Amino acid sequence: MTDQVIVTENLVKIHYSHFLRRPSRALQGVSFSIARGEAFGLLGPNGAGKTTTQKLLLGLLKPTEGTVCVLGHPAGDPRALDKVGFLPENPYFYSYLTAHEFLDFFGRLFNLSAAQRKERANELLKMVSLSDAGSKPIRKFSKGMLQRLGIAQALMNDPDVLFLDEPNTGLDPIGRRDIRNIIKGLKQQGKTIFLNSHLLPDVNELCDRIMILHRGRCAAEARVQDIATSGNYRDLEEYFMDAVARAEQEYNEQQATAAAATPAKV
Amino acid sequence: MNSVIAIALNTFRETVRDRVLYAFLIFAVILTFAGIVLGTLSVGQSVRVLEDIGLFTISTIGGVIAIFVGTNLVFKELDKRTIYLIFTKPIRRWQFILGKFLGLSLCILIITALMGGFLMVLTLANGAPASSMSNLLAAVGSVYLELLLVIALATFFSTFATPLMSVIFTIGLWICGHLGQSLMSLGSMSESGAVKVLFAVIYYALPDLGKLTELRFELITPPAAGAWSPGAVVGHFGVETLLLLTTYVLGYVVLLLSLGTLIIERREFN
Repeated sequence: MTDQVIVTENLVKIHYSHFLRRPSRALQGVSFSIARGEAFGLLGPNGAGKTTTQKLLLGLLKPTEGTVCVLGHPAGDPRALDKVGFLPENPYFYSYLTAHEFLDFFGRLFNLSAAQRKERANELLKMVSLSDAGSKPIRKFSKGMLQRLGIAQALMNDPDVLFLDEPNTGLDPIGRRDIRNIIKGLKQQGKTIFLNSHLLPDVNELCDRIMILHRGRCAAEARVQDIATSGNYRDLEEYFMDAVARAEQEYNEQQATAAAATPAKV
Repeated sequence: MNSVIAIALNTFRETVRDRVLYAFLIFAVILTFAGIVLGTLSVGQSVRVLEDIGLFTISTIGGVIAIFVGTNLVFKELDKRTIYLIFTKPIRRWQFILGKFLGLSLCILIITALMGGFLMVLTLANGAPASSMSNLLAAVGSVYLELLLVIALATFFSTFATPLMSVIFTIGLWICGHLGQSLMSLGSMSESGAVKVLFAVIYYALPDLGKLTELRFELITPPAAGAWSPGAVVGHFGVETLLLLTTYVLGYVVLLLSLGTLIIERREFN
């Protein structure tokens, strides 16, 4: 029996502008589920609704319609968050803290004892190759170091589910390789990974399954292995381009039909 | 409770590392200078004037720190998006608000204690009797009580307003709190019933900080000859009144933090 750790049903999110309360649909009926130990990649062009989906899964946003369940609890429930790790895109950390203090702070939020926090922080700093920088203020960290520290904080509670938002953005090739290797290691440990990324080669290498969002709707969903073996597409990039182009064409046709159905103003 | 302590310690660290405690040096310079000048100008009243200036300066410096740090407490976390990291941890939003408030309150407590201690040393050096120190300590305590309310106001506004607007709102309410009695008197002078009601509503909605000023005045006013009772609270303020004032201010603090929690509970993080 597959154990579904993330389940969303008919997810709709409408944002309203500040003053005029004009609605804009960020998500329109998105449903998917992710099994325990699976690495799931969420892809899509800018503004497709990827970050909105992730924020709904983490409880940072509330759905307008539909349901979100993480580890058997509603999204944002502390019981679910206790087993979740999150690395935001371009994370900003408390620059006045050292790496050790930073991890200790998050350890406290997970109710870890002082000994557990110290042990876990040392272990994680070693894992992300920051052992020598543990006492250094975060403001002196490079982009790559910050990203590695971000992964360390996301793992402080040894989570079952990891949400990674563009973990390789802005990194040089060596930094990207390091982060990729860390994520691979976490996958081998059996952690469920929700990866939100634009970097298709990384998604191709790390994910078991992908979903492509386009204008807030699911444009395609497939197993990465099937894309490669189907013979229809050269690689994930070609599959992605094709799915987005088809979705865009469908959208334009719908718009044209809607415009034709609306009586012209005289 | 661990989460509240974690947030409080982090806020305290942030404030201290922003070199806010250096404000004590400004206070020390102002007061030492005032002590030297007033010692030569005021005949027989130098201690009283020193205490007046000292308490006013503690209140002003503490208030400025409370307002400018407090109004950024939540806003900065939203602006820098560190709130994403906090609210994706198993923490309740009231714990976040309470932790932020307690962290800044601890920092202000240390600054107030440093400034209050310096004021006591200076007044003793200027000839104040050692027995009057308990009253001065109580007066410094009342300043801290008022600052707690300012921190709560700033924390509340920072949950929904920009720092500039929060500063304006907090200073506005802080000043209005001191003018409560005057507003009430002004309303009673009006012939219009509606105006009377309006001023009464404003008076009862806002914390009456004038009572704390009155308390401080009584505490540092030397008693009439023969009426001195070392360590006792002077004037018409008894222990019961002190407790009532403390409960009154803390009630407002709880109300403001609860409202701040309600706002942040309903808030979405785009």
